[in-house]
Amino acid sequence: MFLGPLKQITKTVGFRLTLWYFAILISTSLLLFGLTYFLLSASLKKQDKNAIELKLEELSGLYMAEGMAALKNEVAVQKKFERNPSFFVRLAGPQSKTQLLILPYQWMQFDIKALERVKAFETSTWSYLPLQDHGYQLEVLSMPLGGGYLLQVGKTSEVRERMLNHFRETFALVMFPLILLGFIGGMIVSRRALGPIRHLIKTVRSIDAGKMDARVLRPQTGDELDELVMLFNGMLTKIESLINGMKDSLDNVAHDLRTPMARLRGIAEMALQSDQGEDNLRDALADSLEESERILTMLNALMDISEAETGAMKLDLRPINAASLIEGVVDVYRYVAEDKGIDVQTEVPNALFLVGDPMRLGQVLGNLLDNAIKYTPKGGRVDIEAHQSQKGIVILVRDTGIGINPEERPRIWDRLYRGDQSRSQRGLGLGLSLVKAIVQAHNGEVEALSGPGRGSTFRITFPS
Amino acid sequence: MRVLLVEDDLKIASFISKGLKEAGLAVDHSADGEDGLHLALNEPYDAAIIDIMLPKLDGLSLIEILRQQNINTPVLILSAKRSVDDRVKGLQTGGDDYLIKPFAFSELLARIQALIRRASAVTEPTSLKTGDLSVDLLTREVTRGRGKIDLQPREFALLEYLMRNEGKVVSKTMILEHVWDFSFDPQTNVVDVLVSRLRSKVDRDFEPKMIHTVRGVGYVLRAS
Repeated sequence: MFLGPLKQITKTVGFRLTLWYFAILISTSLLLFGLTYFLLSASLKKQDKNAIELKLEELSGLYMAEGMAALKNEVAVQKKFERNPSFFVRLAGPQSKTQLLILPYQWMQFDIKALERVKAFETSTWSYLPLQDHGYQLEVLSMPLGGGYLLQVGKTSEVRERMLNHFRETFALVMFPLILLGFIGGMIVSRRALGPIRHLIKTVRSIDAGKMDARVLRPQTGDELDELVMLFNGMLTKIESLINGMKDSLDNVAHDLRTPMARLRGIAEMALQSDQGEDNLRDALADSLEESERILTMLNALMDISEAETGAMKLDLRPINAASLIEGVVDVYRYVAEDKGIDVQTEVPNALFLVGDPMRLGQVLGNLLDNAIKYTPKGGRVDIEAHQSQKGIVILVRDTGIGINPEERPRIWDRLYRGDQSRSQRGLGLGLSLVKAIVQAHNGEVEALSGPGRGSTFRITFPS
Repeated sequence: MRVLLVEDDLKIASFISKGLKEAGLAVDHSADGEDGLHLALNEPYDAAIIDIMLPKLDGLSLIEILRQQNINTPVLILSAKRSVDDRVKGLQTGGDDYLIKPFAFSELLARIQALIRRASAVTEPTSLKTGDLSVDLLTREVTRGRGKIDLQPREFALLEYLMRNEGKVVSKTMILEHVWDFSFDPQTNVVDVLVSRLRSKVDRDFEPKMIHTVRGVGYVLRAS
């Protein structure tokens, strides 16, 4: 029961980060201490040995210069006057018999007898007498003086060991807060570093729970996590707009199809109810067909618009010659315009190319030309013009028709909006929405420049 | 001519069968993919109409198996999916043509007949004749009775298309695609305008009238 949550904690990145921080801090401190300790102890040891060597040299020098009697005399003087001698001194005669001895009182516990066994013939030798349970030892340098004599000078390592001991204790004392500090520091570092990630998790959870507008708090640090959060938020915004777009268009489609569906139903019901002749029934059937055709056209247009608006429309992008694109569209409307006595003129440079989906751009120009011809009275004129400008490739569709009121201008792009003047004409009210959606899907802009009575001009700009 | 129809929606299947029979074709219908595959593997057909969404075995897999067995019956795919990708996928799998639901029956018929014609490799005629109206496809000369008629290119294309489909109704969408190679729905009826122009040149001063409007469906050219 207790191990469950513990196991979970140990699995977290935060825990691992804390552990790493902790381990690095502690091992660095240990390494530093170890090195210092080693150097200190080595230098103290050397110092002790130097002192012993010096003393030995002093005494052996005396012996060399003035003979055994002077040495014995000196040692005796030292023993007599030094209350607290800092050196152990022993002079052994042949058969290791002790002839002189200075053994400070506090070193009495050492087993001096062991030193009698030391045989030094040619060179000086070091011997170490350990002391049980005290952690220090007596370090003795033995030197043969010739004639069977052996001079031994020594010193305990007590002072040195005490110092090193103190050093170890101090370090242990420092280590405790250091461990605590390491752990807390690690936790703080990992919490800080993983803050954005925790926000991310929280946000994803709340989106999972249906809160689509949840966003991750930006740490504003400019680092990788900050960038991740920024990208993540951007992605969320895009997904949200896609989902909302889909929802909206589904609502719109459902709503927009109800009206023609109702008409379809009405036609069929009327035909079935009354006693009508075959001709009337045929008419009703034809009406139904036409109505269902309209529903299909509308459905396709609505799907196209929402696909283009949400960025789901697949564009078959390729370089298109502007002149042939425009001529192709104008060709479809040539007879319609001729019948209405409208002069359609194009002015497009020969080698003007733009990148786009030819079918979709044909749809755009077709819709604009369709409108231009529809709303221009007999004897009017429609111009289609394309040119390269600083902003990119510009296509203008200009007519001498009824124009658009300034109040209406922002609304003409809305789905199913039909201006007062356009109600008399056939149409779905989807043409301009489709134009705008497709142009924007091509990263372009479309705007209406118009005044009532002055005709309308639609300007499309594709940035190059 | 014998056509296989694999379609699980019985209403659609029955109206297609009825229409094809009226057009003089023999039709075998199966309502699922496995049954359809069995028929296609064992009976000789001049063409097949295959729906994509089918029980037991989907239409694309069916076509794939047929092609693996080296059966090259021309196939018209029926589908409710209208994206370019789906269309390309259908044609790459081995379909010969692709028609999106809902469709006009006249279009289905025209497409099936075109598939059969292509498969039987009938030599292209150099001239067309309906009643006293004749078209020379090489010189592009049009005559009715004794008089020569001047037609503009699009008018000529429409007349040629109607005459090739003599007696069959062609929809406005089909005309738009054939005459202009344009695949979107113009709001203004450009097809109506073109048809009325052609009528004024080919029909107005002559009897009997040949170009007839079938309301809600399209146009048909008949000798009487």
